[in-house]
Amino acid sequence: MLLPKEKLSEALGALAAEANVIAPVKWEGDVFFMPYKGGDVCLEGNGKLPPKDVLFPKTEKMYSYSIAKGTMTEHNDAAATILFGVRSCDAASIERLDKVFLEQGYKDGFYSAKREGLAVIAMGCDKPMATCFCTSMGIDPMKAEVADVQMCPVEGGFTVEAVTEKGKEIVKKWDSLLDKKSKAKPAKVECSLNINVPEDFEKKLMDMFESPIWDDVTKACLGCACCTYVCPTCYCFDINQDVHGDEGTAFRCWDSCMFSDYTRMAGGHNPRPSKKERLRNRYLHKLAYYKDRHGKYLCVGCGRCIANCPAHLDITAFAEKAMEVE
Amino acid sequence: MCDHNHNDPNHVCTCSDNPLVPQVCKVIKITAETPDVKTFRIQTLDGKKPFAPMPGQLAMISLLGVGEAMFSITAQGEDWIESSIKRTGMLTDALHEMTEGQTIAVRGPYGNHFPVDDCKGKDILFIGGGIGLAPVRSFIRYAIEHREDYGHLDVLYGSRSSADLVFKDDLFENWPKVEDLDVHLTIDRPEEGWNGSVAFVPAFLEQKAFDPAGKKVVLCGPPIMIKFCLQSLLKMGFSKENVITTLEMRMKCGIGKCGRCNIGSKYVCLDGPVFTMSELDELPDEK
Ligand code: SF4
Ligand code: SF4
Ligand code: FES
Repeated sequence: MLLPKEKLSEALGALAAEANVIAPVKWEGDVFFMPYKGGDVCLEGNGKLPPKDVLFPKTEKMYSYSIAKGTMTEHNDAAATILFGVRSCDAASIERLDKVFLEQGYKDGFYSAKREGLAVIAMGCDKPMATCFCTSMGIDPMKAEVADVQMCPVEGGFTVEAVTEKGKEIVKKWDSLLDKKSKAKPAKVECSLNINVPEDFEKKLMDMFESPIWDDVTKACLGCACCTYVCPTCYCFDINQDVHGDEGTAFRCWDSCMFSDYTRMAGGHNPRPSKKERLRNRYLHKLAYYKDRHGKYLCVGCGRCIANCPAHLDITAFAEKAMEVE
Repeated sequence: MCDHNHNDPNHVCTCSDNPLVPQVCKVIKITAETPDVKTFRIQTLDGKKPFAPMPGQLAMISLLGVGEAMFSITAQGEDWIESSIKRTGMLTDALHEMTEGQTIAVRGPYGNHFPVDDCKGKDILFIGGGIGLAPVRSFIRYAIEHREDYGHLDVLYGSRSSADLVFKDDLFENWPKVEDLDVHLTIDRPEEGWNGSVAFVPAFLEQKAFDPAGKKVVLCGPPIMIKFCLQSLLKMGFSKENVITTLEMRMKCGIGKCGRCNIGSKYVCLDGPVFTMSELDELPDEK
């Protein structure tokens, strides 16, 4: 099935009439995932930021309480949302976050409410950016994990494939817009950047914990945490309270393992006292610890941390260096 | 919440929709243990036990309007749980200012627990230093409640001074009365009126020369004490598999989500806080 290029706005408009649609839009020269209000979407390049905040907002209220009344009210409002134009890297990141927030014995109620209401329309990626390396991380640019509908750019428009029941519901709404006879097939795409990580790379990395390379690969880091804010799979958060007299609201907000007080304990002891331990933890979490626990890399190769690091640190350059270590 | 096994990777907890939302409770009793440690007895507003922890598990305790932090649960009764908290910062200062009857919020229980089943039929040597007796006490109480399941029990405990010994009622009154249980106490510096041992915990432990045969060890206290006690235990012939301890890490969520408490691929809040010394050897040195 093919959705002709000129019908795309109409197709999105049909969805936006009934649900909250988030789509990549150009804004001040960059691409951002924003509520779709009609008009053109931008399918060139990766979003400046991933669409992670749809499921895991930068800050979110958890509950409010009144000390005097002894009351506790949970805040958890999630609207049905359709996320359009998600590339395979960002779609894979949702699968990685699902493992953290929905599994491991506890279901995070704030995440799960939003996740249940979410439908993902993935868009195949035929023009990887210079910093993209998703194929090295086991991801197919043309076939996204967690997609309810998979679309791919082809001559004259986009192929459309409903993957799940939710996806079928969406495609049904596009019935009159689709060219059902089209036999167009997306091309195979390889990423621009390739690192040939070996099968058991995570084991090698875990054995390298005491290696001298950490001093070298971390020395340029400024500890700004930019890499973690732009990363689709970073999920650390802090919990805090906003108090006004007798009433208060607990909220959580993104945090970063790159900050020095992240692991500092009440008595002052800090198990990760310098940027060396902190960046080592970040690299190992992405490329080793998570894989050890869940079987996949926590890095989806989107390249955002490479493109945005003020000190030009590059996780692929690190991986290549690590591969050379005996 | 619930007392399900959250360490089972297939278990999805259905008891509470949202494990991050605490229940409002009240502090029904506060005991001053030492100049800087108080024990807080906590109950739900309708007079029930907030949840039923296993020995060694943790509770996230929040003082509404101030903040929350993770503490070990040192004891439980029919309708209460207890945590012993040392003054170390803003939140614990505020907790120490509380009076009985005030509200407090709790969520939990979190983490794994002491291997109460593995220890069945064995002798147990409990070693604590300072506030480190708090987590150990939950297991000592459990072993006393299930006295027939365990062999000989030794409690070896030390603190800076006699005033700094926590749980004095247990140490001097309750535990010495328990059949086949010995309490060995020591303090760091000589003191008027103290006729017991004066030695650091590791040295005191070495004097006692325990026989490792059929014995498990539970060891909690300051990191430096743990290090030297472990050396003494290894000299006596104990193996690392039989020495059990608990780890402390900064925690926010308690349920393996916020990312904060990892050591390598393990989360202390989920896979810990209880580890054997041989398990700790497997983890990267970042404690
Ligand atoms: S963006 Fe670069 S400089 Fe900033 S914390 Fe990350 S690695 Fe360090
Ligand atoms: S670590 Fe970097 S390349 Fe990997 S997913 Fe995160 S931002 Fe993208
Ligand atoms: S406290 Fe959040 S992951 Fe352990």
